[in-house]
This record gives sequence, C-alpha cells and structure tokens, in this order.
Amino acid sequence: MSTDPRRAGFLATLRAVLWSFIGVRKRRDYHDDAASLDPRAIVVAGVLAGVVFVLVLVGVVNWVLP
Amino acid sequence: MTTLTHDPIDTASGHSHAHGPTGLMRWITTTNHKDIGTMYMIFSFIMFLSGGVMALTIRAELFQPGLQVVEPEFFNQLTTMHGLVMVFGAIMPAFVGFANWMVPLMIGASDMAFARMNNWSFWLLPPAAILLLGSFFVPGGATAAGWTLYAPLSVQMGMGMDLAIFAIHIMGISSIMGAINIVVTILNMRAPGMTMMKMPLFCWTWLITAYLLIAVMPVLAGAVTMILTDRHFGTSFFNAAGGGDPVMYQHIFWFFGHPEVYIMILPAFGIVSQIIPTFARKPLFGYASMVYATASIAILSFVVWAHHMFTTGMPAAGQLFFMYATMLIAVPTGVKVFNWVATMWRGSMTFESPMLWATGFIFVFTMGGFTGLICAIAPIDIQVQDTYYVVAHFHYVLVAGSLFALFAGAYYWLPKWTGHMPNEFLGKLHFWCSIVFFNITFFPMHFLGLAGMPRRIPDYALQFADFNALATIGAFGFGLSQLIFLVVVVKCVRGGEKAEAQSWEGAEGLEWTVPSPAPHHTFEDAPVFKG
Repeated sequence: MSTDPRRAGFLATLRAVLWSFIGVRKRRDYHDDAASLDPRAIVVAGVLAGVVFVLVLVGVVNWVLP
Repeated sequence: MTTLTHDPIDTASGHSHAHGPTGLMRWITTTNHKDIGTMYMIFSFIMFLSGGVMALTIRAELFQPGLQVVEPEFFNQLTTMHGLVMVFGAIMPAFVGFANWMVPLMIGASDMAFARMNNWSFWLLPPAAILLLGSFFVPGGATAAGWTLYAPLSVQMGMGMDLAIFAIHIMGISSIMGAINIVVTILNMRAPGMTMMKMPLFCWTWLITAYLLIAVMPVLAGAVTMILTDRHFGTSFFNAAGGGDPVMYQHIFWFFGHPEVYIMILPAFGIVSQIIPTFARKPLFGYASMVYATASIAILSFVVWAHHMFTTGMPAAGQLFFMYATMLIAVPTGVKVFNWVATMWRGSMTFESPMLWATGFIFVFTMGGFTGLICAIAPIDIQVQDTYYVVAHFHYVLVAGSLFALFAGAYYWLPKWTGHMPNEFLGKLHFWCSIVFFNITFFPMHFLGLAGMPRRIPDYALQFADFNALATIGAFGFGLSQLIFLVVVVKCVRGGEKAEAQSWEGAEGLEWTVPSPAPHHTFEDAPVFKG
C-alpha cells in the first residue's frame, strides 16, 4: 500500500488491550482500533498487560496479608 | 487470492463432483471438510451415548444407599471413564465437528487449510476410543483414578491406566492438529472483504480456542507421560519416596485443565452468539466487546489453575491470588451474558428449537457460573471441595453450557447439513424434557454437597437418600430424552420439510448463501463478502 494507514501509538494499543480485559469497548473507539492497531503490537501489549495484571494481584495479596 | 477453477461448483443440483472412492473407502479417505465434520459429530454422539450409559449406571447405584448394582471398584472405573469419555470423546470432538463443517462455510473458504491432516485428525480418534473403552476388559479393568488421573493413584493402577495414557496421547495429537488446521484456515483463507473484525463470532471463539488447545494439550501430554515413566521406567516425578511430589502433578494437570474448561465453553459462546441475533432479528449487541471478552477470558484462564487445589496446603498468599484472579474472570463472562440479553432486548423474537436451546443455555449456564464464583471463594471451597456441590457446578457449565449449546447449534445448522428442517415438535419436546430433567438431576446435588456428601463414592449415609433418589430419576429422564435428538436427526436426514438456502428468516452470513444441503464443494470461487 502506498498510503500507510495511521499507526496507533503504544499507549493507544495498551488502552485497547486494557479495555479488552474488562471486555467492553465503545463502538467509535473500536472502529478506530480496527483501522489503526497493529496485531503484533496487540500481542506484545497483551502479554505485558497480562504480566502487569499478575504483578498487581500479587501486590494486592501482599498488601492485605498481615 | 487465487482460486482453483478446474472443478466448478454444481450449486443447482446440490450433488457433488467427488470423484474419489465410494462406500466405506469414501469416508476413510475423504479430505472434504463436510464429510469429516459429519464423522466428528457421529463419533462424538456415539461417545456421548457411551458416557451416558456409564452415568446412568452410576446413578442407578446411587439410587439407594448401600451397594446394589455394581462393585465399588467398578463404580470408580465408571466415574473416571464417564469423565474422560465425555470430555475427550464427546464434547471436544463435537465442537471440532462444528468447526469443520461451519468455519469454511462461514469465512467463504473452499475447505480446511490442511485437508489431509484433517482426515488424520479425525481417524486418530476411533483408535483412541477403542483403547479407552477397551480398557474395561483388561486385567484390573479401566483406570479408576478419577478423570484428573491424580498421582499417586494413577501411578499404582493396572494396565487400564496405560491404555488411558496412550488414548490421551492420541486424542491430544488429534486436537493439536485440528487446532493448527483451524488457525491456519481462519487466518489465511477468509473470503475477500471478510476482515478479522467482520468474522462471525463462532470463528472468533474457535480461533481463540484453537490457540488455547495448542498451548495446553502438550502440557497434558507431558503430565501423562511423566505418569507413564513413573509407572514403568523408574522415575519419581510424583513419588515422594523418590524425591518427587504428587502435588506437582496437580499443578501440571490443572495448568492444562483450567484452559481446557474454556476450550469446552468458548465455542459454545460462539454458537449461542450466532443463534441469538438470528431469532431476535437484531445484530449481536457489542460484537467487538464479545471478541475482546473472549480474548480476555482466554488470557485469564492461564493464571487461575490452582483454584482447583485450595485444599492441598497452599499458603494464604497463593489462595488469595488464585481466588482474586478467578473472581475477576466473572467480569468478561458477565459482559457476554449481558450482551446476549441486550441482543434479545426489544428484538422480534421467536422461539424455534435453536433459540429455545440458546436461551435455555443462558439461563442454566449462568447458574453454573454463579456456583463457580462461590467455589472460587477459598474458605467456601475448602468446605465444598470434593463434594456433590462441585459435581453440580461443573455439570451446570458442561451439560447446560457446552452440551445445550451443541444442541442449539445442531438444530440451527441441521437444515444446512441435511437439506431438511428439523421437526419443531420433537425439537421442543427434546428441549423441555432436557431442561426439566437436567434440573431435577443436578439441582439437588447442590444440597447434597452442602450437606457434606462426598463425590466419587458408591455408597452414602442415609440422610442423603431422598435427594439421591430424585437425582437418579432425573438422570434417567435426561438420558432417555436424548434419544429424541437421535430421532430428530434420522428424520431430518431421511426427509421432511425442504430447507431453503437461508433456512431461518433472520439468519445472516455466508453459510446461508449456499444451497441446503450444502453441496459437497462450496466456495471454490471465493465469494466477495460485503458485511
């Protein structure tokens, strides 16, 4: 393709992935995602967010335990 | 995209141009996704009936306290084999059968990506089933270690255990090959215009399920291989006396086992997400959020496995971690249930058989989901671990979840498979008998479990007698009701009201653009999808 579609930045990718953790997305934002997100970036952001999710849970557990 | 044009589609007559062998050899050598899908479904129905007979024998023994029908050793074999046969022989192959039939039709592909591997994936299953069912007849009988095959029991069993291990290896290879085929087909063979986010939700859920299968089936293979070497080659992976750890087996097994739960339910979500919009005559509410929620459930499924092991002596930090992570899965699952309900909201709904099963699925599966949340709470789970409460919970999600969705899908696509509409009266009778008898069977088990009745036992204390008698009556009613489905399918194959290409008024998608029954070869010229 000669005209490269606008590529989403890292933060936009991360935002889409974080919404996916709840499973909800606004229709307009979803259409923006579908046009601009790079699937490889989503996988990387998904794995990162997964690791962060586990670390947050570990943090919460350590916080609630005496 | 290139297309093969040497064998044009004869869509008018609906007859195939298959120029392969005929008779039995046609089925043995076929590489056609529809033939293979049909074989998967017939196989899984035979296994469903086999596992069902085991279940009814279990329930017959439990009709009254005391030992009446079978020996306790044989009872343990039955509970184990019922689980293995239903999970690996009935539910999983049935969903692969649906994928084989419907994924190429839904995405506008001419066949699965690896057609010969597809044949092999299926034909590995009958030998595995023979190994598994044949193990009843070897010295010592079938494995009786429970479907989870926990060490040290599984290390000590007779040769029936070895047969089960090899059967699991073979079925695992079949599942992995099937999953690779589905991933490659979906990623590479979609019709022009069908972008990922325009795919039917059934394809999305199967794509994610296939990744789960590829990730976790090797883990199960590793676990049972370690049991095999512990049994025969002097290793001590799970033997404390040799420096091993039986609890490690549980960790490895459930690292497979929990994603496996989602392998058995995500395609069910996909089927229901196809059916509800058709009969509500509205597009699916929140398509994107459904995709996101499915992906989210799949990711979370890898970090919750030890909620099956709260009573193994885990530190409090571990219990809390797995409890929190498990409870968070309820969020994306709840999103799905709300989306289905929102799809139905103010829709022009009609309740033909597929819709009845789909709405029944939502109602009863949600109850199973809620009891799952209760089991996720560590202090409660420690009370109900290994009781009938857990048996009730997982039958609500696997029977009322996976199985009801399979029936919903079967009634929905039977016109496409056979060219005839399923008998509405019998379909409705099947549904109402099933949902009533299902609840008579499994609802009392919650009370039995809360009162302390342990699972996997052939005899019980007198105070559990009434609910057990009720459950047994329900189980026989449920089992016999499934024969109605057999009648519906046979009638549908033999004749009946002709089905149109678009068999249901509100049905949308590429599969409804080809004639009913779907010709042997479809979409050899890729359609252009304008969704």
